[in-house]
Amino acid sequence: MRFVCRRLLLFAGALVGLSLLVFALLRILPGDVAAVVAGTNATAEQLASLRSQMGLDKSYAAQYGDWIVGLLHGDLGTSVVSGKAVAAQVSSHASVTFPLIVFSLLIALAIGLPLGCAAVLTRNARLRGVFHVIAIVAGAVPALWGGLLLILLFSKGSGLLGLLPSQGFPDAGWSAPLSALAALMLPALATGITAGASIMRYTRAAVGDVASSQAVDMAMACGMTRRQAVLRVALRLATPQLVSVIGLTFAQMVTGVMVVENLFALPGLGSMLVTDVGNRDLVAVQSELFLLAAFFLFLGLLVDLLHRALDPRLKNATVGSGEVLA
Amino acid sequence: MSATIRDLNISIGGRTIVGDVDMDIADGERVGLIGSSGSGKSMIAKAMMGLLPATARVGGSIEMGGRQVVDASDIDIADLRGRYVGMVFQNPAAALNPVMTVAQQVGLPLYLHYDLTSAERTERVGAMLAKVGLDEDVLPKYPHELSGGQQQRVGIATALVTSPHLIIADEPTTALDSITQRRIVDLLTSLVDGAGASMLFITHDFAVLHRATTRCYVLEHGGIVESGATADVLSSPQTGQARRLVEAARKLSLAAKETDHV
Amino acid sequence: MNGRIRTLRIVARSMWRRASGRYALVVMGLWLLVSAVSLVWTPYSLLATDGFDTWGSPSSSHLLGTDGVGADVLSWLMAGSRTNLVIAVLTVVVAAAFGLLLVAAMVSCNSAFSSASVVVVDALISIPTVLVALILSVPFGASAAVIVAACGFAYGLNLARILRPSALLAARSAYVESAIWSGASPIRVFFTHIMPNTLPVLSVQLSMSAGTSLLAEAGLTYLGVGVGSGVPSWGHSLTTSVRFISIYPLAVVWPGLVVTLVVIALNLFGDTLRDAIDPLTNPALREAA
Repeated sequence: MRFVCRRLLLFAGALVGLSLLVFALLRILPGDVAAVVAGTNATAEQLASLRSQMGLDKSYAAQYGDWIVGLLHGDLGTSVVSGKAVAAQVSSHASVTFPLIVFSLLIALAIGLPLGCAAVLTRNARLRGVFHVIAIVAGAVPALWGGLLLILLFSKGSGLLGLLPSQGFPDAGWSAPLSALAALMLPALATGITAGASIMRYTRAAVGDVASSQAVDMAMACGMTRRQAVLRVALRLATPQLVSVIGLTFAQMVTGVMVVENLFALPGLGSMLVTDVGNRDLVAVQSELFLLAAFFLFLGLLVDLLHRALDPRLKNATVGSGEVLA
Repeated sequence: MSATIRDLNISIGGRTIVGDVDMDIADGERVGLIGSSGSGKSMIAKAMMGLLPATARVGGSIEMGGRQVVDASDIDIADLRGRYVGMVFQNPAAALNPVMTVAQQVGLPLYLHYDLTSAERTERVGAMLAKVGLDEDVLPKYPHELSGGQQQRVGIATALVTSPHLIIADEPTTALDSITQRRIVDLLTSLVDGAGASMLFITHDFAVLHRATTRCYVLEHGGIVESGATADVLSSPQTGQARRLVEAARKLSLAAKETDHV
Repeated sequence: MNGRIRTLRIVARSMWRRASGRYALVVMGLWLLVSAVSLVWTPYSLLATDGFDTWGSPSSSHLLGTDGVGADVLSWLMAGSRTNLVIAVLTVVVAAAFGLLLVAAMVSCNSAFSSASVVVVDALISIPTVLVALILSVPFGASAAVIVAACGFAYGLNLARILRPSALLAARSAYVESAIWSGASPIRVFFTHIMPNTLPVLSVQLSMSAGTSLLAEAGLTYLGVGVGSGVPSWGHSLTTSVRFISIYPLAVVWPGLVVTLVVIALNLFGDTLRDAIDPLTNPALREAA
């Protein structure tokens, strides 16, 4: 319990630190941001009004205070470029990105866990070699290239097989679930396969380690077959380790997700962020980056707590992951 | 249950670990296998249980209760394991499943081999725990919450809960202090005799071997160098290996006697 | 010193004996060679474009064809290899320095400090590399330095978390205790006793980090927060070919293939190096000792 309290306190502290960091980094922009945003043809009045709209005429402390108070009230500010509320912008783009991330992760797990376990179970040296090659090669493909190859193979129009759409998201959004899902299929495969390869490698290592342990021998001595012992005991004992690795893979996968969003012209958080960063849309970028980073901090918190909940030996320990268990 | 081992050869990665071993265990007999560490004792036990790693090559024959184990399919050996043959491990802290409660651990062989309701299973687990001298309140506990002696009692309970006909005990007392050692050996022998089962008791310690077995084999560099009644081997060891082990055991038992007086 | 060279030779020889090690060494050697050569010579100048010869197929004059402005694809890939080499090396250096610093903090004797740093690492590790790069690119603009900083930060955290168990095991061992009792400075103890124990894991992680930094470069450059637009890099080549994928799909093959082959080589390099420098898995090293 003490650990949970400490972890929650740390989470709150990290949020504050994160907001300060994002705020500070966005304030050390060289030159006049308003001038960059307004363009070269702007008049002095336009510049002045833009500056006050972006809050640049106030002191840093006041700007930070305004922003945090707004955040606490659920007001993320208004984009100076598009004039839309940032909150609405984030939520509409998130409805593409989060399903894509979940979809990719499911594909990665569906590939990585069974193949990783199969690599441990097989007693055929040649088959083990094949699994090794799959893991190494699939894990080395850049998401961008993987996506392109999938387009060349499967996409309607330019692809060889012409099976799936490769550009854009249906205007109807999730009210047309089948076509929305079809639009996400290729992008999710592009990131899911690479992430699946790394999950496979971690699974093989972690489950393989446990599979040669005495606990697995004991389970077999109780009457399990090797297969049962690996799938029921070794996989279970490796789960805490796998949970933290999967959390990590998830965070690493986000680069790929943003890339394929752009590649497949999906209106997701990635394309939104890239556009806003390109436009130097200070108000929008600030809230968006903070929110996303906060989301991943929260995810890290969940992974840590899950990691502990899965291992009864950690119930009363005070330190976090990576604990040496004698 | 009787066991017969003929011409057993085990090699891993081209290196011979066990060579030309012949052993017999009669019905209801307690047989010892003694040797220094690295002599290949545990490999023989693992071969009998079908627990050798994938890289091991096994030749010869191991027959237990009329069934051939060498080259048998994993499914066939799994049917023997935990039902007719039980195994007690050297280091219960590592062998007991850390995410299973005592109730689940001891109940596992019953769950795998018999079609019992959970109430019936709980009853048999409770009765078994009473036999190894543990209270009911350990049932919901995890292994890391128990002492070393308690852990090994749980290990013994797990091996014996299905009333197997042969027990293989692989250095079951090595991880324990000397007083707990004797208690565990006495517990094991009385339970095995009470059930009319046979036992193969593996150790490097003659003092323990004398307490646990009536007949023994001495293993050196993967081969049997001496065998006979445990008392005879202990009183007049024929080979250098046996003499060294007996010598070490004498020192230990002298030390143990001194502590008895205190 | 002589002994160290002999160890190095044994390690290199045991890596070469395995097919995967041979592949890794050859590809990495080629990478270094091409990077060096590209400094003084490429088949065509990077700026030499030919408006009449765009999207040319591979031919004897342009071995890998030409791109959308008629520049030679091979020349750009060769020049890109040195940018990627610099990024990979710097990322490894930054990640190693940052990671080892964190490891030192996590195994330090002050328990409040060490447990605090463990928890901080656990919290920060979940932030994706791309977000760090995006945040940094706002004030600093798109550049190779942003990639190095973002990747070095993320991989350093990752390294720290993975090294902690083995470092902790070494830090709590009897020989470290006796070294500290005999008055060795903590920094010396860290480098002579604790770090060598993490070497097998460290080598795998660092070469994997080098590979991942190449993948990140491709992604970040495509997103516009990686290397600048005129700078040659594999990510740059990949990005320029993407825009015209429907016109000339083959142009996409080369840069992606180069990245994939090199990342495979780096991963295999880590694996074989670990087996070669660990006395447990390399009998030749045991005999030499």
